[in-house]
Amino acid sequence: MHFLAPSLLLGLLAAALPFLIHRIGRRRARPIRFAAMELLLRAEHEVSARRRLRDALLLLARTGLAMALPLAFARPFAEVRSDLPAETGRSQSAVVVLDDSASMRRHAKEGGTPFDVARAKAREVIEHLSPDSEIALVLASEGSTAPIPELASDRARVLAALDATACSARRADFAATLRRATQILTSSTRADRLIYLATDLQAAGWDNVTPATGAGAPQVVVLDASGGAAWTNRAIVALSAEPAPEEGAQGIAVVAEIANYSSEPVHLLGVTLAIDGAAVARGFVDLPANGRARKRFVLTTAGGSAHEAEVAIDKDAFPLDDRRACLVEASRGLRVLIVDGDPRTVRTEDETFFLEAALRAGGSGFSVTSTLPDDLGGRDLSAFGAIFLCNVNRPTPPVAAALVHYVETGGGLFISVGDRVDTDGWNQSLKAILPQPLGLKRSASALPGARAEGETVDLRPAERLAPIDRRHPLLSAFPARGDGLSSARFFEYLLLSPLPDAPGRQIVLRYESGAPALVEAEVGRGRVLLLTTTVDREWTDLPIRPGFLPLVQEAARYLAGAPSGEAAAAVAVGQKREIPLEPDDRRIEVVPPTGESRWLTPPARSSDARTRRALTFAETDEPGFYRVRAARGDGTISERPDAAFVVNLDPRESDPARLPDDKRPDRATATATAGAAPRRRLELWHALGAVAIALVLMESLLTLRFRRGRVKA
Amino acid sequence: MPTLALDPLDIARLESMSVRARVIVEGAFAGLHQNPHAGASVEFSEHKEYAPGDDIRRIDWKAVGRIDRYYLKRFEDETEMRTFLLLDSSASMGYGRKGPTKLAYASYLAAALAYLLAQQGDPAGLLVFDADTRQYLPPRTRGGHIRDLLVALDAVYPAGRTEPGRALAYVAELADRRSLIVLFSDLLDAPVDLGDRLRQLRSRGHDVALFQILDPDEVALPFDEVSDFEAMEPDDARRLLVDPRDLAASFERESAALRERWRRTCLEARVEYQFATTADPPAEVLRAFLFARQRARR
Repeated sequence: MHFLAPSLLLGLLAAALPFLIHRIGRRRARPIRFAAMELLLRAEHEVSARRRLRDALLLLARTGLAMALPLAFARPFAEVRSDLPAETGRSQSAVVVLDDSASMRRHAKEGGTPFDVARAKAREVIEHLSPDSEIALVLASEGSTAPIPELASDRARVLAALDATACSARRADFAATLRRATQILTSSTRADRLIYLATDLQAAGWDNVTPATGAGAPQVVVLDASGGAAWTNRAIVALSAEPAPEEGAQGIAVVAEIANYSSEPVHLLGVTLAIDGAAVARGFVDLPANGRARKRFVLTTAGGSAHEAEVAIDKDAFPLDDRRACLVEASRGLRVLIVDGDPRTVRTEDETFFLEAALRAGGSGFSVTSTLPDDLGGRDLSAFGAIFLCNVNRPTPPVAAALVHYVETGGGLFISVGDRVDTDGWNQSLKAILPQPLGLKRSASALPGARAEGETVDLRPAERLAPIDRRHPLLSAFPARGDGLSSARFFEYLLLSPLPDAPGRQIVLRYESGAPALVEAEVGRGRVLLLTTTVDREWTDLPIRPGFLPLVQEAARYLAGAPSGEAAAAVAVGQKREIPLEPDDRRIEVVPPTGESRWLTPPARSSDARTRRALTFAETDEPGFYRVRAARGDGTISERPDAAFVVNLDPRESDPARLPDDKRPDRATATATAGAAPRRRLELWHALGAVAIALVLMESLLTLRFRRGRVKA
Repeated sequence: MPTLALDPLDIARLESMSVRARVIVEGAFAGLHQNPHAGASVEFSEHKEYAPGDDIRRIDWKAVGRIDRYYLKRFEDETEMRTFLLLDSSASMGYGRKGPTKLAYASYLAAALAYLLAQQGDPAGLLVFDADTRQYLPPRTRGGHIRDLLVALDAVYPAGRTEPGRALAYVAELADRRSLIVLFSDLLDAPVDLGDRLRQLRSRGHDVALFQILDPDEVALPFDEVSDFEAMEPDDARRLLVDPRDLAASFERESAALRERWRRTCLEARVEYQFATTADPPAEVLRAFLFARQRARR
């Protein structure tokens, strides 16, 4: 034990005072010659035991009090071994970084979570920093707001902010966090500038971290909240939905990718699929050690809007990544609408004869509906996964608007041209969704190349297709040389007006001349494919070539499948989500999994076209389904299933791999802190003060009881 | 009832025991309508002219018829009633903090009684004792005896241990016929067999009275600081260093129990018991004693 003011220990001599006063009092007792000694001795015998006990307790209390007071004033303390870094003892500017990433929410073996441990360690550091230190508090999750973004001397405020923090479901981003902490410390003029990093040292989140070095760089101290023990984990790291033709038009497959972050294989891990909150299927999967496996659920769902699909595995210590969600739209998955712009009475001469035959070919699973352009306006286009517009003259304005909305909300549109197409009309009414504006018709001038064996003789000048690029998903099923397509001849086609390169637009097929044959564009949440020739034999003999059938079937699947599954409607926790606005939307309500609605209001007048078309929702803090409703101009509130989305955990947070020691930011200063075990001062005067108060109370109670006894007497 | 009874301190200031005795007796009978100077235990001896305050039951109506004047009958003893006054003069009787000592107080009462008896012509004797008999004056009626007795009382001093049993035994030998035996003591250290002695005296036909005299300090402890108490009687080395406030309640209970024990003992032995503290006016105590005897006689 040590003392801050040892000279005050002289006051301990006062401890003898009660005893001395007692003795002196006895010596100075008045002698009385008394006749009734017998009575006096009997009375003394009656009360002696109780009186001696009371006297002993009083002497004890008074002696203890006389000792406790000088001891307390001497400010005693003990030095005890401390888990805290030795650096905490110095006067400094400090940024405490608290790792609040998703992995910190797992359950530790010893109870609690690493976040609890990290917060406790951070609190301990803050409490034991020297009183004149300045402290800031920063969170390590991506996109988080710092609770105390500037250096502050108000310790209570920092501790209150620390207590108010909660662990997020976001991924860690230590590169940005350390940059921010360093930036905060640049405002300090102190020599000692430190960053205390309370984390579980999960490797994820340390990408692109370059520790600051040099003379002015702050020192980083890691407060390891992992307990030093490695942890294992099982997680669903990906979830997708795709058409399942084997189940017919309504068939859909939900595919979960499950990872095992453990050196032990897992047998018969339970996997459950829930649709719209109700478990509909359960299966089992074996996971290899440190490997992955896929679990595919095939099901048929009723028609209508999107469904909420969630796959869950048996829970482990980190339940946050044991489930994953996506939205599936099985109803329109393989329903195709063909709009025949050049119908003929002779079936084989009809514009869509070959197309329809190819899509209806046995086993394709497509549900094909044919219609005429004039009948298009009355149809609910959202019920179809893909629409084929074939040699349509020009869409009427209502039809054009419906097509634009259809594509922007996730529909797939295939456009083929022909003699009936009014290019100017198309360019005006469907400018928003056309991959490129339509140009002039071009007739092939040269004879085709060598005649392929067995082909139908057509002596018109023609062009062939340039070699295909099989990296495109539409063409991945074709042989490397493009067999089935390479033999096709193109007598006429439309040229397209050139446009600068734009993201989401690409040329899938080209003619030998270099002109685009098939162009793809992503519009809103949907896709458009533009074929610059016909789908009958008028401008090309492609429909009778072997490649036509797989080309149009793949195109239908590609278009229909585009908006389905996790990729289109899911974001990671913390990422922003754009919610498309409809013209009549006045306010948008987003209902997160917690049920606490958030209302978004579009700006009344905005020059930014994007903000007129969409709102940004940033509070994607919890994994799960986010429903969207819109308040219309007429006061009604309606569901917006097309805008609903899913928030999932960043799969990197599931990986328990620990940051290698050589990449730890505190290793550069490790030698400086090594040496004598850190010790911290444990103040004892509080306890002594409490003892003194207890003794005063005890003495008062005894005296009061004693006096009360005399008054009664 | 208004009285002329002086308090013990005033009595102590009087110059001689004879004066004290007379004052006490006068105080005891002041305001009374009866004239107790004529005892009830005597035969007719002479007439006395009636004076206001005299008992009209004693008027000799035959004499009134004869001489037409009111005379009271006066009587003399058929058998002489002798009185032994036993005074405990042990060291413990010397305690007195604010007033007279218990011994002085007992002397006043004894002197008053002796004076009263002398007025009635009854012989009174005095036995001063501690562990042994210290002084003995036999009962007499001759002139000057009362003076000797009062002088002896004036000269008494506290010393030695107390043995009231031996004094009673001694008196039992001396009293060969029916006598009045009055014992003055604090009875603090008296043995329990004192009750047997008292019963023996009663069984022999003696009339016995016991005055227990205590100081007020021996009824309730008044001290309020740590004190070193020591016994007063020789050969008693008992001491007690104590804060008397701790013992006050218990002491008061013990003192009351002591008095109650002697009251019961006397009741069982048919001995008249009188308790007094040295703060009580002696005349009051004497009057209470005489009234009690008068009631008992009726």
